[in-house]
Amino acid sequence: MFQFTDMFRVDHLSIFVGVFSALFALLSVIYSFAFMRGRKKLARYYLYLLLTLIVSLGCIFADNLLFLSVCWGFLGLLLYLLIAFGEGKRTSYTAKKTFIIIGGTDALMLLGIALIWHLSRTLEMSEISIHLNSKAAISAYLCLVIAAFAKAGAMPFHTWIPDTAEDAPVPVVAYLPAALDKLLGIYFLFRISAQMFVMDAGMNTFLMALGSFTIVAAVMMALIQHDLKRLLGYHAVSQVGYMVLGLGTGNPIGIAGGLFHMLNHAIYKSCLFLSGGAVEKRFKTTNLEKLGGIAKVMPLTFITFLIAALAISGVPPFNGFTSKWMIYQGIINSGKTGGSLWILWLICAMFGSALTMASFMKLINAVFLGQPHESLKLKTIRRADPPPSMYIPMCVLAALCVLFGVFAYRLPLHMFILPCLGRQWEGIVFSGAWQPLLATGLLLLGIVIGFVVYLFGKGTKIRRVEPFIGGETLEEHPDMRISGTEFYNTVRDMESINTVYKLADKKLFDIYELGSKITFGFNAVLRYIHNGILPSYLSWCLLGMIILLKSLFFK
Amino acid sequence: MIKASDIIPFFVIIPLAGAFLLSLFGRRARWVPDFAAMVAAILLCYLSLLSARLYNTYGLLKYSVGAWMPPVGIGMVLDGLTAFLLVTVNLVTLCVTVFSINYMEKYTSKWKFYTLFLLMVAGMNGVIITGDLFNMFVFLEIASVASYALVAFGTEKHELEAAFKYAIMGTVGSLFILLAIAFLYTYTSTLNMADMANILAEKGSSQIVLMASVLFIMGLGLKAALVPFHAWLPDAHPSAPAPISAMLSGVLIKSLGVYTLCRIFFNVIGLTESISSILMLLGVISMVIGVFLAIGQWDFKRLLAYHSISQIGYVMLGIGLGTPLGILGGLFHLFNHSIFKSLLFLNSGAVEYSTGTRDLKEMGGLSAKMPVTSGTSLIASMSIAGVPPFNGFWSKLLIIFALVEAGRYGYAFWAVIASILTLSSFMKVMKYAFFGELNRKWDKVKEVPFLMKLSMVMLAFICIAGGLLIYGGIGDMFLKPAAEAMLTGTKYGWLILNWLR
Repeated sequence: MFQFTDMFRVDHLSIFVGVFSALFALLSVIYSFAFMRGRKKLARYYLYLLLTLIVSLGCIFADNLLFLSVCWGFLGLLLYLLIAFGEGKRTSYTAKKTFIIIGGTDALMLLGIALIWHLSRTLEMSEISIHLNSKAAISAYLCLVIAAFAKAGAMPFHTWIPDTAEDAPVPVVAYLPAALDKLLGIYFLFRISAQMFVMDAGMNTFLMALGSFTIVAAVMMALIQHDLKRLLGYHAVSQVGYMVLGLGTGNPIGIAGGLFHMLNHAIYKSCLFLSGGAVEKRFKTTNLEKLGGIAKVMPLTFITFLIAALAISGVPPFNGFTSKWMIYQGIINSGKTGGSLWILWLICAMFGSALTMASFMKLINAVFLGQPHESLKLKTIRRADPPPSMYIPMCVLAALCVLFGVFAYRLPLHMFILPCLGRQWEGIVFSGAWQPLLATGLLLLGIVIGFVVYLFGKGTKIRRVEPFIGGETLEEHPDMRISGTEFYNTVRDMESINTVYKLADKKLFDIYELGSKITFGFNAVLRYIHNGILPSYLSWCLLGMIILLKSLFFK
Repeated sequence: MIKASDIIPFFVIIPLAGAFLLSLFGRRARWVPDFAAMVAAILLCYLSLLSARLYNTYGLLKYSVGAWMPPVGIGMVLDGLTAFLLVTVNLVTLCVTVFSINYMEKYTSKWKFYTLFLLMVAGMNGVIITGDLFNMFVFLEIASVASYALVAFGTEKHELEAAFKYAIMGTVGSLFILLAIAFLYTYTSTLNMADMANILAEKGSSQIVLMASVLFIMGLGLKAALVPFHAWLPDAHPSAPAPISAMLSGVLIKSLGVYTLCRIFFNVIGLTESISSILMLLGVISMVIGVFLAIGQWDFKRLLAYHSISQIGYVMLGIGLGTPLGILGGLFHLFNHSIFKSLLFLNSGAVEYSTGTRDLKEMGGLSAKMPVTSGTSLIASMSIAGVPPFNGFWSKLLIIFALVEAGRYGYAFWAVIASILTLSSFMKVMKYAFFGELNRKWDKVKEVPFLMKLSMVMLAFICIAGGLLIYGGIGDMFLKPAAEAMLTGTKYGWLILNWLR
């Protein structure tokens, strides 16, 4: 059992995930050079980042489940230590909460591995093939799924992500919760769902239901956030829903879509966080109400952020569109085997996509466009784009968003994603006609035509008037500005949703808070009993002995 | 000519002689108590490692006290389990002694402290090494009485109260043990454990043996602090000076409680189905209730004390299972727990030494001022919480695997839940004591002196390296012989008596 021979496995999937883990680590380190400058204990910070990469490579190339779980658990500790580099007031709380959720689910993973060992007498992932036909098998699968979900941040184990996004240093967020933890979580989910366990329809439906719920619920929470990083954090949760949904379809195209979405998400979400970090570094705030109009002074940041925002919203020709499109096809294909639930999942996925778009409208308006907040003093600044070591990673990621969208088939799908599925992928038939190159060409053509019409047509003659707000001039009354944070207050005030939001504000859906309430309930009862009175303690001993006597003598 | 078995009595002689000499000459000079205790601890640690090696080369070792042959005279036996526990106890003793040299400066009359300390060590080593049931009881009482006095060492109000409760309950436990020994004596007419095992195997079980089993579980369970016999522990362990807390939680409850339970139920009476399930049930209850109690505590040492109950539950769960893997896991967890729990108590002592408080709410941000203490306590916390690759992870893994293998899914689930809660409560310690913003009160706090740091670093190193214990040579040398000794069951008697003839 503890013979660590044949510990490693190298196949297409592990190479693909490994390469991108290393890429994100590199970008994050480069970004940190400028972002973390001047902070304390930097040597330790870089050591932890490096260790994270090494340990995660161990996870990815592991073939022995036990070895994987050792690396997996150690990553939780490293994340905990890295979050502690944040400078916010709640940092230590967030670090604690994160590690409790991650480390707790790691313990469950151990139970799952023990069950697998019991069932199949081997811990080598490539040799395991278990049918979900007994309680032990189902519990084993669920334990491992919980571990994968907590790492990736799918509901209901997601609550550490928004908190971490807000409190940890930006490069750490961009590297771990946004990129690496997604890669690992979904990688592991793929390994267990597609390779180690033989899935049945019920479990697939369960995964799809959780995925759909995650998409919609998290994006609804994202709509009402007031903090740039926290909002992005909720999107990091919502996007996991797509990946789970894709893997849950159980057919090759859906699974490929899920894996592709995992990659895409890591790219654009890292880009979003890094761009957001540039804003934070310059203006010392991520509160949406205190930002606005900074596209003028940070054009580069604005462009990278915009590209990534369009990608996450699934706008063609960026990468997010292709993977979502594949996931939709997977959902539709899953309907062919019976049942009509697929319609529900499809609606959820598309609705979630629309809401993502909506919330990024708000975000872009509040941060980059719109009226600037008076405290920013934008008029005194000419250029505020970050130094090269920060903008290079942002630009690389933005470029990848475009490349992987336009050349979706040729680059990522053929090189990385489809070989992962082994022989299955030959059977993939893309329904509908989507040629990203052609579409991009048409889109560009459309834009060019529009521009030509604008230059030479009547569009050049426009009427300019002052914006009218109650008869006041905006520039003189900065307090009259519309920040964009209140775009979706109507959603919040809708009656049925209103109560849900209120409950969410009370953290009723936070598995961590729920768990701690139950625990401290038990604790209060037990402490009440332990009153420090000697006779009562002695009487427990007597009682214990009577029970022992009874159980041994009168069976 | 010196025989290999001649080292056996030294485990008792050295600390006992040390205690005696200290009480005579301890007041002569300031350095005498520290020096004497240090010499005794180093010798004991060396001898214990040597004994493990000797066991591996010569097999079972046996010594007759005063050349009176057992079963009439008192026999001392060194088998795998004994060697394993001797190493555990004396390793922790060494680290704690190093820590005490600086820490005990703030108390008066160090020589009294070391006298009691060495007496306690003598008692523990005696319990482990003896082959005679009544002799075991005597050593058990020596260690217990010394520990009652040590808990009250600070002579503050709450310390005396805790020591009083501890003494009362400990005495009740001892009396039940004595009664159980008396029952067995009437039934078998012998006190030598090997002899008794043979006679019991011949005569078969009876109501008297059952009654004795119940009394043993109660009495030794009380020494091991299994729920519901645990109530003395959360008062007694935090009240003692930190090095003593480390000894009590780290090794005393194990050598007096867990080891004796193992020896009696595995090697003398024989493990039956119902005893096994009772031990496991007690283990699970202790594990879960202990951790639920721990998580709400704000006193650093009290929190640790409740965790001792919970961790002993893990040990009992593994051992009570009775399968090879379970015993291996339980014993390994016993070793690991003695390392990380003594480290944690030493950490709490270091914090108390520098800041003068044990209240977690008053601390905060100490990692900036006390990097060694906070670093080592992070390592110990990760070990106790079962985070890989620290040692606690491996033993919990073995226990969970053993439980699942035996089909005890429910117990395995509770073991996981307790592990999650353990992690949560140590995250709480980390957050309030070491991380976060520095409390303005502690601006002038300094890191503890060198020897205290050294002792903590040594233990932390074992926490990291301890995971290796199950691999290769080290594991074969320590753990496997111990598990095999327990698996021999009541054949233990034949092994030893055959060897005699």
